[in-house]
Amino acid sequence: MIAKTKYIPDGKKELKELPIVHYLDANYVYYPVTSARCPEGETCVRGGQFVKVGEVVGTRKGAFFEQPMHATVSGEVVGYEKHIDNSGKVVDCLIVKNDKKYELHESIVERTDDEIAALNKEDYIQIIKDAGLVGLGGSAFPTYIKLETKDPIDVVIANGVECEPNLIADYSLMMNNPREIIKGLIYAMNASGAKRGVIAIKKKYKEIEERLKFVLQEFTEFDIKVVTVGNFYPQGWELAMIRNALGIKIPQGELLSKYGVLNFNVSTLQSIYNAVKKRLPVLERLFTISGDGVQNKNFRARIGTLITDLVELAGGYTNEEAPKVMILGGPMMGTNILRDDVVMTHTTTSLIVMNEKIDKEEPCVHCASCVYSCPVEIQPVQIMNAYKVRDKEMLKVLEVNKCIECGLCSFVCPSKIHLTEYMRNGKRFLAK
Amino acid sequence: MMQAVKQTSPYIRKDVSTKRMMIDVLIALIPVVAFSIYRFGGDAILRILVSLVVMIGLEALVFGIMHKPAKADKWMDRVKSRYAEYTINNITAPAVSAVIFAMLVPSKLPIYAVVIGAAFGIVIAKMLFGGLGSNIFNVAAAGRIFIALAVTNMFDGSYLGVDLVAGGTALTSLRSGLGFPGVLNSYSLIELFFGNVPGAMGEISAAAILIGAVYLLIRKSADYRVMLSTALTFTVLMLFAGIKLYPDLALEYVLFHLFSGGLMFGMVFMVTDPVTSPVTRPGRWLYGLLVGVVIVLIRLFGAYPEGVAFAILFANMFVPLIDYPKWATNKIKPAFIVSYIVLLVVFSLVVFFGVGGTV
Repeated sequence: MIAKTKYIPDGKKELKELPIVHYLDANYVYYPVTSARCPEGETCVRGGQFVKVGEVVGTRKGAFFEQPMHATVSGEVVGYEKHIDNSGKVVDCLIVKNDKKYELHESIVERTDDEIAALNKEDYIQIIKDAGLVGLGGSAFPTYIKLETKDPIDVVIANGVECEPNLIADYSLMMNNPREIIKGLIYAMNASGAKRGVIAIKKKYKEIEERLKFVLQEFTEFDIKVVTVGNFYPQGWELAMIRNALGIKIPQGELLSKYGVLNFNVSTLQSIYNAVKKRLPVLERLFTISGDGVQNKNFRARIGTLITDLVELAGGYTNEEAPKVMILGGPMMGTNILRDDVVMTHTTTSLIVMNEKIDKEEPCVHCASCVYSCPVEIQPVQIMNAYKVRDKEMLKVLEVNKCIECGLCSFVCPSKIHLTEYMRNGKRFLAK
Repeated sequence: MMQAVKQTSPYIRKDVSTKRMMIDVLIALIPVVAFSIYRFGGDAILRILVSLVVMIGLEALVFGIMHKPAKADKWMDRVKSRYAEYTINNITAPAVSAVIFAMLVPSKLPIYAVVIGAAFGIVIAKMLFGGLGSNIFNVAAAGRIFIALAVTNMFDGSYLGVDLVAGGTALTSLRSGLGFPGVLNSYSLIELFFGNVPGAMGEISAAAILIGAVYLLIRKSADYRVMLSTALTFTVLMLFAGIKLYPDLALEYVLFHLFSGGLMFGMVFMVTDPVTSPVTRPGRWLYGLLVGVVIVLIRLFGAYPEGVAFAILFANMFVPLIDYPKWATNKIKPAFIVSYIVLLVVFSLVVFFGVGGTV
């Protein structure tokens, strides 16, 4: 109550125990032509054209970068449809009819170890750019831009903390494909010239620690360490993770590279491995359906799969009459969606469906739990008060823009005040 | 078709509530209330009940007056619509204030004085400021001070009136003749600790109060910082006074002051009231220091033998200043630690050179 809250119930144990259903054979797959980071995009295939796995079917255009789209099945292009993307927006999607033969495109040839050894920084950047890799931790920030830095990099850190409740994608990846993560990390170290690699995981995941350490015995020529950090929320926030794993305190708003650090999510590193070694874009990923409003299941599914299909496969919604809250991502920071025809993209990790529960807001009693719990050490309650009277000056003084919207202030409030929403409104108001 | 509703992140909440915090305070008050009933029997029960009825009832009445009714044909519906926002916290919160207020008064205080105090606290100090969460003064303290000033003759004269403000007779006798350490013959430290002394109903038993304190701290329904800071400041300052006045009995002097009067009760149940506390860690330390200093100054130099309630009201006035965003921060910075220690030292010196009248 009147104390700093660092632990939140994560509900992962039950989800980890669920089997993983492999659903890689969707009849139709969909590729959003635009995304939250790329408001424009174009396709370079015509209806009726036959495409193969790994073939470029279009390009999304962001403010300062372009991102190729790849087919993840082989088959015929049949047209366009509107669906929802990762950010909850309705977007145009290119449809490919899956012929289920999974013919690989001619460009998909594995690189030999010698070829890889000969790659320099520019080559790596080009490969990663061509593969359209983005931060798979959720940021969807283009990976090659991080590597383009001119700053000397001392250490590459693999973020395997995954502190959001209900998410187990990174966990199962580290458990099942540790080698690919480690190789991806080595490639990222080579590309950036970093001498050290660090894999940061949660303290309580002893099994992951053992697994990674065991596999690391094959890579003793590299300086890679597994570091455990506390089981706190929001420990996966990169600045908190770096502070605890490396002891480097980076102020908010500064580039990590200035401090000799590069940070990648473990699943991004795996995608780097696939791009460098196999010349493959991201083809599939783990997807979890959880929450009390739906049958819970884990899936391995192809990028482009409609989530409607997965929900149906899982067994559908429970208690159909009850109003539901649908979330893409985690319950603390995920995106609210109102329809389930979401297209699975690189960064779609989970769907949570909860039966609506209405918490009545009570007056603030100044208990200061939000102030005590805030990871960026701002004062949510004061920001709320300043926003209520639209005091721009005070919002600036209170540094509302530092807020990372982790959701802890709303989470801890005994009066059930939605402080995080006030933070967002405060930021918006300040930007006006 | 499934119905999807709109919400924004985060979608989950911690299993805590304001209601639970209030109930925790009520639970923590049980030992104190039980002791007051054991000591004063029906007198205690009656005053607690009167206080509860007045505070909860008036909060409900004023709440209705403060809220606009919806348009409706039936008179009853219009009245009901005024209470659309009325929740359990409109009962638990005044209940907490009511019990605390009752514990602050002597067992023989006339009922109408109890009614006046409770009414003033809930109507003037709380509801007129906007109700739960908006009051800047501690409700119980405001009610207590009001009757102390408005109906002063209730408190002095005969023995039953105990003392002028929120103190116990032990403190009064300190001033009125017995002096220290003579007062220890009438009220031993053990008796003071367990509450076998005259005084306001809830303030006399340090033991009962401490049980409540432990519960509050375990439940984290009160901030240890304000309690600790008040206790620390009070102890340090009184120690300096003790060393100056009674070098051989300094420790006994400090313990006597700790266990007498309203200090313990105020420290555990009133200073910790979150509504009237600052909202940052350093702010709460500072607030505790302020309360501690004012209590000591009143006890040693003031016209009244005791001033816990006064000290709390006084410190309440500084809360907006302490919380002013231009300097308030939740980080405990070295500069803060230094200023805290400097303040403590300065006031210790003031006390040391001030007491005894031999500057």
